[in-house]
Amino acid sequence: MSDGASRFEEFPVDAVHVGLTLFVLAVLFLYSPLFVQPPGGTFTVLEVVVLFLLYAMILVGLNLQFGHAGLVNFGPVAFFAVGGYTAAMLTANEPFRAVGLGYPWPVGLLAAILVAAALGVLLGISTLRLRDDFLAIVTLAVAEIIHGLLETQSDITGGSLGLNNVPRPIAGTTTAGDGAVLVSTIIVFGALALLFYGVFRRLSASPYGRVLRAIRADEQVTETLGKRVFRYKLAVFVYGAAVAGLAGALLVFYNGAAAPGFFTINVTVIVWIGMLIGGAGSDRGVLGGLAIIMSFQLFTRFLNDQIPFVTQDQFASIRLVLIGLLLMVIVKYRPEGIWGDADELGVES
Amino acid sequence: MTLLAVDGLRRSFGSLVAVDGVSFEIEAGEIVGMIGPNGAGKTTTFNCILSVIDSDAGTVSFDGADVTGGPPHALARRGLVRTFQQTRELETLTVADNMLLAAPEHPGERAWHAVGRTSTSAQREAAARERAMELLEVFDIAGMVEEYAGNLSGGQRKLLELARSLMLDPKLLLLDEPFAGVNPSLTNEIVGHIEALNDDGMTLLIIEHELETLTDLVDRLIVLADGQVLATGPPAAIMENEEVIDAYLGG
Ligand SMILES: Nc1ncnc2c1ncn2[C@@H]1O[C@H](COP(=O)(O)OP(=O)(O)OP(=O)(O)O)[C@@H](O)[C@H]1O
Ligand SMILES: [Mg+2]
Repeated sequence: MSDGASRFEEFPVDAVHVGLTLFVLAVLFLYSPLFVQPPGGTFTVLEVVVLFLLYAMILVGLNLQFGHAGLVNFGPVAFFAVGGYTAAMLTANEPFRAVGLGYPWPVGLLAAILVAAALGVLLGISTLRLRDDFLAIVTLAVAEIIHGLLETQSDITGGSLGLNNVPRPIAGTTTAGDGAVLVSTIIVFGALALLFYGVFRRLSASPYGRVLRAIRADEQVTETLGKRVFRYKLAVFVYGAAVAGLAGALLVFYNGAAAPGFFTINVTVIVWIGMLIGGAGSDRGVLGGLAIIMSFQLFTRFLNDQIPFVTQDQFASIRLVLIGLLLMVIVKYRPEGIWGDADELGVES
Repeated sequence: MTLLAVDGLRRSFGSLVAVDGVSFEIEAGEIVGMIGPNGAGKTTTFNCILSVIDSDAGTVSFDGADVTGGPPHALARRGLVRTFQQTRELETLTVADNMLLAAPEHPGERAWHAVGRTSTSAQREAAARERAMELLEVFDIAGMVEEYAGNLSGGQRKLLELARSLMLDPKLLLLDEPFAGVNPSLTNEIVGHIEALNDDGMTLLIIEHELETLTDLVDRLIVLADGQVLATGPPAAIMENEEVIDAYLGG
């Protein structure tokens, strides 16, 4: 691509190739007797890294939807949750009081992608022809409804306890303990996150992405220039849904369990804030933003341990206030985000 | 040959009938002007023809096919292209991207080609870029190619919108007030472009209030008032038509 912003965006190497290569190496590594034992004190950090990689997968989809095509999806966690629970219910072996069909994990993984994508098609077809704000309201509402169902339909989902006895394919490849599993998980998830980044980056950096940005700028003009606007919107909505569903499945296969607590509105909040801080539409910037916000959370968690007279609840509130302040500062003084392009987003900075 | 036939077009907004049974035809090769007082229903007629909005009744046929009810993207592909009264650049895209976006049948706009980075996509992109630069040269805005369209002046926007619509190689180009807000020298320039396009065989339908410029330019005028076709004919005859004079002066 010719414009300066995209040149800046381009990795020196192609993320699709690197992601694929890394994935193959990761799988070889899993099936080799090799393992990496991380130092004891790093587990908390590594666990956050695992979450970061999963959220990054959700975010590359969300950024294509919002950053490029301008679709306001306030419910990415809905697809994450649906993917996670589909995978868990299909594969769990006799979970305590919930549906567990005991299929092998690849079945669960595939079904997670398909069911999340199907939810995307359903929501997309019913809302993407309507006014823009409809999508925002519906996605937000659906995410809350799904979360509610997970908690209340305990005969199916296990309620607030969730499901356990979900297979842990990566943990199954080593007997070297939790630390080694964490490292292996990070390698595999990292390869996948890079691959998805690369694929979505190719979409956004191509004439395809140009159509998306035109839709964000003015749907009607884009349509009169011969583009099937609705199809593009539906497609990017479903792509994002599918990847979020896959990320949900990866999460439950990592944990060996699914619970409503993994799939709260917090996930949506974190990825949105990461995107806005990093700069919507900047494919690498949004991941930087996510890294910033998740590091901040991690840092404040350590801080909490150092300040014993503040309770955890109080601290959580303080943290939320701080994140809100940060977002306000960004919106006011740098509305395009740290790495975003003000001209491209049509904002004054 | 009749290129565009509009028959009994109707559209109301609440109790206001904006377009009230409009019928007319455009022959291939013509330049036709559409005039009428503010609120006569000219823009709404365009919107209905392009099915940017739904019409309540009536049919539109273009190039021998019934195209009533769109969809708009299909009309563009058939060669029926319009510009907007308020210029509608994609301000958050560069001039280059505005132009390239309009390139028809671009394989790179399909996900598979985009992710696979196919050579057909790259070739189409290169050809489109060449065509875009040609047009931008003709319209004298090639120097702005990497600029965001939002940073262009009003006149440059008009030129860009015209150039962009030409990327589609339209058979019939509908222009909604191409001279509004444009200084006289640029008006002359745009007139020159329109004449050149028509000489190359393009058919045009132009809405315009600037009657002096328009009457010199067009073969025929269609007069709209209160959502109805009041008169149609050569400019000289229309300018002497009592009804038309009444509609304009008597309001
Ligand atoms: N979306 C809309 N909703 C309600 N009323 C509308 C809408 N669009 C147009 N109208 C009304 O329909 C009538 C015709 O409008 P239209 O824009 O077609 O007129 P026009 O001939 O293009 O006028 P102008 O020369 O001022 O551009 C006007 O009274 C206008 O207020
Ligand atoms: Mg008008």
